[in-house]
Amino acid sequence: MSVLQFPRVLIWLVASLFLVAGSATCTQAAEEMKIRAVLVWATDDANPPAGKNYQPVAAEIRKRLRALKWKNYFEVKHIDFTASSLSHKSVPVSDKCSLDVRALGNSQVEVTLIGKGKVVGTVKGALPKNEILVPGGDAPNDTAWLVILKRLD
Amino acid sequence: MMEYNDQLKLQAYLDGELPEGEAARWAERLARDQEAAALLTELRQTRECLGGFEEGVKLPETREFYWSKIQREIERLETPRPAATATLTVWARLRRLLVPAAGLAVVAVAALVAAYRSGPTMVATETAVADSGAMIYHDYAAGATFVWLSYPADDDVADIDEEATLD
Repeated sequence: MSVLQFPRVLIWLVASLFLVAGSATCTQAAEEMKIRAVLVWATDDANPPAGKNYQPVAAEIRKRLRALKWKNYFEVKHIDFTASSLSHKSVPVSDKCSLDVRALGNSQVEVTLIGKGKVVGTVKGALPKNEILVPGGDAPNDTAWLVILKRLD
Repeated sequence: MMEYNDQLKLQAYLDGELPEGEAARWAERLARDQEAAALLTELRQTRECLGGFEEGVKLPETREFYWSKIQREIERLETPRPAATATLTVWARLRRLLVPAAGLAVVAVAALVAAYRSGPTMVATETAVADSGAMIYHDYAAGATFVWLSYPADDDVADIDEEATLD
């Protein structure tokens, strides 16, 4: 190999490495997570409010909520969506509240709760498969609201 | 047998290099010293023989021009060749740039590969909350992470009736 050929080889080597690194980075940057958000009303009442046909949450979910004190958990609604690391996904959970969800890669997710157009809180954490991430808060009359986030993929 | 120093003195006498007084003394000695006279004769003959082989170097051009050519050649050899210098400089700059770039690329690729390989098993379980009143609880056995926010506090979302806080 001549002295003049060596830099050319090196240039190709560096270009190849950057290409590999770049494609890997792009692949990682485009990570997506399919998530189900379940809005839950937690109460000690045996039945949902009058006029509401809320159903108890699935038994599998119920078991995972064992750390909480309430006796019953009713699913108000659920929404399936895909969170991407490339953009924020706005997920309306009620007329006044929504979630802003973004995948961070490596099973990490960032969830911003927005109430009446204002940021209520931002949760940033892991959402591995077969686990749930549950932002929640107290509600009047010793009840609570929960948004159960669960991976679908 | 003449001493070595005397032989040298005699050579100097022949070459006319001795001081006048010493040359006179040698002249007197040569008149009475046959050995010295014989050596002088031998040295003179040798000089004459060698002298016949010495041919003066004749320059094809003037002396000044001849030496100026030598001077120019010396200067040319001492001055770095521009083309060679440029090549070396470009190569040196290229190498200075590419070597660290290659190193960085290798490190980046290695880091990415490591990140990919360790991805699923390296999931962080930490949860950060931008809410000073929030509380985090991990129920590892149940695979659940609860983030209890201070919202709504009696209540914002909620013009709440009992039906649902967020609904």
